[in-house]
Amino acid sequence: MTTFSLRAAKQPRPLLALLGLGLAGLAGCQTNIDAPPAASAGTLDFTSYVAIGNSLTSGYSDGGLYNEAQATSYPAILAQQFAATGKGPASFVQPAFSAARKDGSGYAKLQLVNGALTPVTPSVSNTFLGEQVAYTGSTLPSGQAQLEAYSGAQPDNLGVPGISVLSSLNALTNNLAPYGIINPFYERLLTAAEKPTKDYVTYIGQKSPTFFTCWMGNNDVLTYASAGGVASAANPFSGLTDTTRFGMGYRAILQTISKGGTVKGAVANIPNVTAVPYFTTVTVGAVNTAIKANAALPNASAASLYITTGTGTVRAATSGDLLVLTSQAVIGSRSTTANPLPIGVGYSAAQSNPLPSQYVLDADEQTAVLARTAQLNAIIAKTAARYKVPVVDAFTFLTQVGPGVATNAINNSATYASGNLFSLDGVHPTPRGYAIIANEWIRVINSYYGASIPQVAPNDYRAVPFP
Amino acid sequence: MRLHSLLLTGGSLLAATTGALASGFQVNLTGTKNVGMGSTGTGLYLDAASQYYNPASMVFAPAGVQIGGNMAIPRISFRPGSADQGQRTLQNKNVFPFSGFASFGSDKFKVGFGTYTPFGSELHYQQGWEGRYALTDITLQSVFVQATAAYAITPQISIGGGLVWSAYGDVNLQRDIPVQGAGASAPAHVTLTGNSEKKFGYNIGIMLKPSDKFSVGISYRSAIDQHVSGGSVALSNVPAGLASSFSATGFDVTLPLPDVYSIGFGVRPSEKLTLAFDANLVGWSRYQQLQFNYSGGVLGGQPSSVSKRQYDDALAFRLGGQYMVTKGLTLRAGTFYDFACVRDGFVTPETPDADRFGVSGGLSYQAGEHLGIDVSFLFEDFMQRSQSQQDLINNGTTDRVAGTYKTTIVAPGVGLYYKF
Repeated sequence: MTTFSLRAAKQPRPLLALLGLGLAGLAGCQTNIDAPPAASAGTLDFTSYVAIGNSLTSGYSDGGLYNEAQATSYPAILAQQFAATGKGPASFVQPAFSAARKDGSGYAKLQLVNGALTPVTPSVSNTFLGEQVAYTGSTLPSGQAQLEAYSGAQPDNLGVPGISVLSSLNALTNNLAPYGIINPFYERLLTAAEKPTKDYVTYIGQKSPTFFTCWMGNNDVLTYASAGGVASAANPFSGLTDTTRFGMGYRAILQTISKGGTVKGAVANIPNVTAVPYFTTVTVGAVNTAIKANAALPNASAASLYITTGTGTVRAATSGDLLVLTSQAVIGSRSTTANPLPIGVGYSAAQSNPLPSQYVLDADEQTAVLARTAQLNAIIAKTAARYKVPVVDAFTFLTQVGPGVATNAINNSATYASGNLFSLDGVHPTPRGYAIIANEWIRVINSYYGASIPQVAPNDYRAVPFP
Repeated sequence: MRLHSLLLTGGSLLAATTGALASGFQVNLTGTKNVGMGSTGTGLYLDAASQYYNPASMVFAPAGVQIGGNMAIPRISFRPGSADQGQRTLQNKNVFPFSGFASFGSDKFKVGFGTYTPFGSELHYQQGWEGRYALTDITLQSVFVQATAAYAITPQISIGGGLVWSAYGDVNLQRDIPVQGAGASAPAHVTLTGNSEKKFGYNIGIMLKPSDKFSVGISYRSAIDQHVSGGSVALSNVPAGLASSFSATGFDVTLPLPDVYSIGFGVRPSEKLTLAFDANLVGWSRYQQLQFNYSGGVLGGQPSSVSKRQYDDALAFRLGGQYMVTKGLTLRAGTFYDFACVRDGFVTPETPDADRFGVSGGLSYQAGEHLGIDVSFLFEDFMQRSQSQQDLINNGTTDRVAGTYKTTIVAPGVGLYYKF
């Protein structure tokens, strides 16, 4: 018995040692999942990538252009992803503000005001919320405050907030309105000599891209829509741009940036501007509920929201009318006229203090905006086909994304502030929104050119910061 | 020395076990002898651990006392479906399932007591990983105790049953919250912790042993839901402006655990060789959704959260054998194939389930008539499993992440037994 067990006791030892070795080997071995195929530019060359566009291209967010948001513009994200293919660009220059004035035109912030989350816009009266703004103190002939001149290397992101196709080519307005002395975001990019003469088409012609993106046309409908369908007599760019001049301008832009069709690129069309939170946050239904619950009103249950339509008619608002974000501050405020009712409140067309037309995009105005958007998008599609570049269908994309788009367990939507996609101005995306847009550009470019540019993780880009 | 320290670790009170030793978050590491044979045992009567596999067979097994423990060493990797920034690996943490059993009595009637860790999961994902808003960390621990009686109606037929008590259970779930604080450096984070209520369940079995060469067993283990009520919600880095949307202080949740039907066969072609075959049907389809009800307020503006699970019942097939080399030394080997209970498009980070193949081996060395030591070793290889964002959208499961998971587990184990 004893001898047996001694002998046996020795036997397991080498086995155990082997087992131990095997363990050490297996335990140290991390499981591996094959990496996706390497990034490839296909036949594309991103050595010199140039982005053409308006505020969406510049990285404008929260009602302003500032360095932090500019750094996550979709062209900046695209350039970063293009670089992953090894085909450049080595650097992508954006017209940043100087470090001491990094907050540029200033930007809105969510703040707790009397315990309620409120978007607060920077202004002289609130000392720009402590932001390091880049205003020079001078005023442009258009009445807008001048911004610090940009003095760095020639930018590759040529996005200019506010610019439209109509304002890109002086010839379209018979040189009546030199854009370089109207728009502070364009003015800051030009030399003193260029300001009165150099239009945007000429400006972008200075670049020699190997690849370009172009997202123009939004402001040819948005400026009008966001003003509640009211065009300003003093501003030739505040209406819905007609198709003739849009076509001329758009062709000039693509002809110029593609060097006559020899440079590859991609364009995006005009999104459904009425689907953004700027138009969908303040609803007629919610306003009516608030009016009817207002105990200060006589016979409040009979009262409702009254509006002035684009044709001057006064009528009760319906769910088909869109109220702009800025109407929130106006509706219900005490009338400054002799009218005893608060603004927006009425019992009948005759007994009302109707909301002024610039705060409401009524049903007829929406129809006009959408019809023009469709016409202009048709021109974009046709011109893109002529220059053999793919179209990012921003109209369809934003319609799909609006109700909700999930990014790695986060549900994002077009809901104001909490939806993560749109910044506090209700029109321009957050960095997260720009990342999602950049991914759509990448998807279209990959599909059209047979490239495999990697997408970004949108969750790595911030949404709206809360106080 | 090595064995000694392993034994000490295995015997410690760290009952957590890795999330993936069997389909869902089952842990089939009970009984060191059984583990060495592909976790078969329903049709066998090896030792006191039979009260777990088939309580009826306990009466045919030698009476004794045994304890065993395992060190489970998981290796889990993840790659996102898009925006790949390299493979994510877990902060690999070893966990220690254990079991202990005792049985007393005659060849006609035996009683037994046992404790084991049938379910568990512990995963700590890499900082900043793509699924951080679904899960960053999970610890799920359970310790069951069981009292068993088995009766041999004849030397060929026995019945048995056990009263199972979920003596201890706790859960710790953590994830990042997708809200951004102005100027915040760390993400908002929520930790849900709680202890589960103690509940009773049972297992029953029957064993037929027409000869020494052949035995067959059938057993059933009842479901025991793990219910946490009055769990606590701990939040960090939530922006003050959103405090009213994150006011919850407590929660309750029910985690349904499955019942298990098993059938097993034991064949002894010679006195030295035993072969075993088991099949298990695990009733995971009870787990349809995970619903947290919050108390004291809301979380993310919601009074509750519901996440789809829709698990399927899962089958597992096991094959094992042992060979007695000498009177003191027995060698074992086994293999198994375990089907996933999580459907395509429903894989969650807390249970990165997949079909899996396993092999095991082991040995026993008995010094003298009574005292012996068991050693087991198990390796599980999960099939690589992917789901796309479109799969998640189609299933309404976008509260988790698209990508590919791959897991392997190594689990050495050691046990001591004393036969009366």
